[in-house]
Amino acid sequence: MTTTFPATGTGLRDRCAELFCADLAPMLRRLGARDKGAGARAVLHPDDAATREGVWAALADLGAFGDQRQRDLVDLAELAGWALYQSPLTDSWFAAELLTATGDPAYAPILRDLAGGATALAVAMRERPGDEPTEPGPLHRHEHGTVDAIRSVVAFAPDAGHLLLVGTDGGRTLLAVVPATGPGVTLRRHDDIARGDLYTVTVTHGEVVGAVHDITDQYAAALARARLRHAAYLAGSARGAIEVAAQRLRERTAFGQPLARMQALAYRFAALAARTAAVLSSVRAGALAADEGADVRLTGAQVLLLAGVLAQEAAAECVHVHGAHGMTEAGDAQLFYRRAVVDAAWLGRTPSLRREAGRLLAHSRIPPR
Amino acid sequence: MTTAFRDDVRTLLEEDSVRSTVADIAAYPPGTEVALLDVYRRLGERGWLAPGWPVEYGGLGLGAVENAIVTEELTRAGIPDDVHVLCVDLVGMFLLHAGTAEQKARHLPALARGERLATVLFSEPEAGSDLAALRTTARRDGTGWRLRGSKIYNLKSQYGDFALCAARTTDSPVAMHGITLFLLPLRAPGVHIEPVPGMANDRFNLVVIDDVRLDDADVVGEPDNGWQLLNDMLQLERTGIDFHAKARRLLDQTIDRAAEQGLLDDPEWAGRLAELDATLRAGHALAWEQVNALAGGHPDPVTSAMAKWYTSEQIRPILNAGTELAGLGAALSAWDGTTDDDGTWEAALRMGPSHRLASGTSEVMLFLIATNGLGLL
Ligand SMILES: Cc1cc2nc3c(=O)[nH]c(=O)nc-3n(C[C@H](O)[C@H](O)[C@H](O)COP(=O)(O)OP(=O)(O)OC[C@H]3O[C@@H](n4cnc5c(N)ncnc54)[C@H](O)[C@@H]3O)c2cc1C
Repeated sequence: MTTTFPATGTGLRDRCAELFCADLAPMLRRLGARDKGAGARAVLHPDDAATREGVWAALADLGAFGDQRQRDLVDLAELAGWALYQSPLTDSWFAAELLTATGDPAYAPILRDLAGGATALAVAMRERPGDEPTEPGPLHRHEHGTVDAIRSVVAFAPDAGHLLLVGTDGGRTLLAVVPATGPGVTLRRHDDIARGDLYTVTVTHGEVVGAVHDITDQYAAALARARLRHAAYLAGSARGAIEVAAQRLRERTAFGQPLARMQALAYRFAALAARTAAVLSSVRAGALAADEGADVRLTGAQVLLLAGVLAQEAAAECVHVHGAHGMTEAGDAQLFYRRAVVDAAWLGRTPSLRREAGRLLAHSRIPPR
Repeated sequence: MTTAFRDDVRTLLEEDSVRSTVADIAAYPPGTEVALLDVYRRLGERGWLAPGWPVEYGGLGLGAVENAIVTEELTRAGIPDDVHVLCVDLVGMFLLHAGTAEQKARHLPALARGERLATVLFSEPEAGSDLAALRTTARRDGTGWRLRGSKIYNLKSQYGDFALCAARTTDSPVAMHGITLFLLPLRAPGVHIEPVPGMANDRFNLVVIDDVRLDDADVVGEPDNGWQLLNDMLQLERTGIDFHAKARRLLDQTIDRAAEQGLLDDPEWAGRLAELDATLRAGHALAWEQVNALAGGHPDPVTSAMAKWYTSEQIRPILNAGTELAGLGAALSAWDGTTDDDGTWEAALRMGPSHRLASGTSEVMLFLIATNGLGLL
């Protein structure tokens, strides 16, 4: 028996459910995971690299990168989170939206490659790891059209054909696209708690594809939609952690009975499951509103706030009810725990989201003049 | 007197040579574990590693208060205290209270001098919270015993000289009856120690005990009566002092970071940190009441369970606050080589879940409070 949550039955979700299924989830969860302390030079195992490419191609075949509604994308993001599938998926969606918003025809080949699964995209916003995506790092433009920037914690930079440098210059938010392997671009892998694919990117006289665009008016709206999708991913990962924990509770016996019979533990997960269901409902409602063209900046910040806290709590509880086994590499609980640290802060950390949502809430109550 | 003792310990731990040891530890290749540090020996020479023990066993003949001070000061100085807890607060204390004169004379002075390392082999793959379900057996063999079984999740056994090991000596319909505690030499033939890869820096071990022969002289306390001893002794260890000290160090680090970022002027952050500080102060007061009760000879099992639960539960909210302050910087490890804290926060995050599990899980503490304290369940 597995935990059941209300099915939604939209097309993309149904198609992708075969990929993100219980049989494949244990493999997907560990895809691309590096050894502890592997450092800057950690390389991906060749088998892992091939599987990653295969999964990416399968996603493209299933239509993950076509012209999808937000309502479909949040469903897919939730499934990916449930499987703890670490990939450039959500960043590629964000990137595609930013590229499309500029209307620059120079980006058409990039978007075409993405839709066909031939490439992935990385969004590079932070100069320092502690920076927030709402305040992108400086972007320096040279007269002859090249750019300089330093970006840290950029996800999957080597897998991306292009890097989207989001930056600020003179109080404006800019977008410059550079080829990830182009001249003047160097990548260095971070070693982080999730042991995944985060990189420092140094761009010196990077050659820009198309023009440098002023995206000041589009960025906040694109970020809000990205937050909806990321919240779906986080809530999906909470759902995954709850299921892994429930499985352990059914299997582990103490005091003559399965731990699943201990109400103190069972109720805790029942409550987490209810919170997950509520966050997912809110995400879906937000996605529907976004598809209707509504401003979802407040909703985006709010659902991400709830989902980040939830994902971390579900993961920590998942480890806890595994006992010491939960801290070992043999189990999957620690994967949820370690990755939640990174994923929860990815598009804004809790205090900033609370603040941002507070401002937007106050603003939304003032009648327009 | 206790203030003077704390000052003395602190002065030693602030000496340049000790500070450089702490700096060396921080600069060790990531993942390197520490065992018997030189600073333990320096404390041991003065009788300060186990000040509560009698002078003949390497202590100062003081009490639980001074023991607690050493635990607090070690953590305050950033010196890993796990070995101290294992050798002095756990194995040493069991021997002090229940060991024979010969066992005490043989082991305690070396433990108190920081020259010998003892570990704890209680948990098994199928017996953790429910320790009475343990399956390691010790069968009579003439005048001795033959031990077989597997012990897991123990720390530092790879460096240990001997361990306190719980084994079943008599099958009984009452699981608590028939357990005996042994002193097991960890380098004996038949003892196999393997790492259990885990997310924290300190390695868990699997110790397989394959037909190891021990004598009656290796039994701690009475045969078959180990359960009672375990409960009595573990309660003595449970003051919450060590968990509070760790929580305090993490919170102070968080407050320092907030100050650097100018966030102590932000009412939201200042309020949140003040509230965490309030809970820590409450935990500190509760923990010290347990130490004083212990020193006065009247420890209380219910409030000591409360102290362990309350202090260890603080660590998660502190880790959350510190992580939110640092953003994704909190996620970068020592192996990254670019962090301004040598990756200590990331390591603390990986260690985070252990505090609610080790030394009796939160639920085991709540069970003790609910049953013995409130007459529930
Ligand atoms: C950092 C660390 C160091 C350790 N060092 C040592 C060591 O040196 N030597 C040693 O022998 N052991 C050591 N341990 C093991 C530790 O003693 C066990 O982890 C602990 O006893 C819990 O057992 P378990 O891990 O098997 O969890 P389980 O007993 O399987 O419990 C799993 C979860 O269920 C909960 N639970 C269990 N029973 C109930 C109940 N009745 N009601 C509600 N909830 C319940 C528990 O609280 C826990 O959250 C260490 C553990 C850690 C994390």
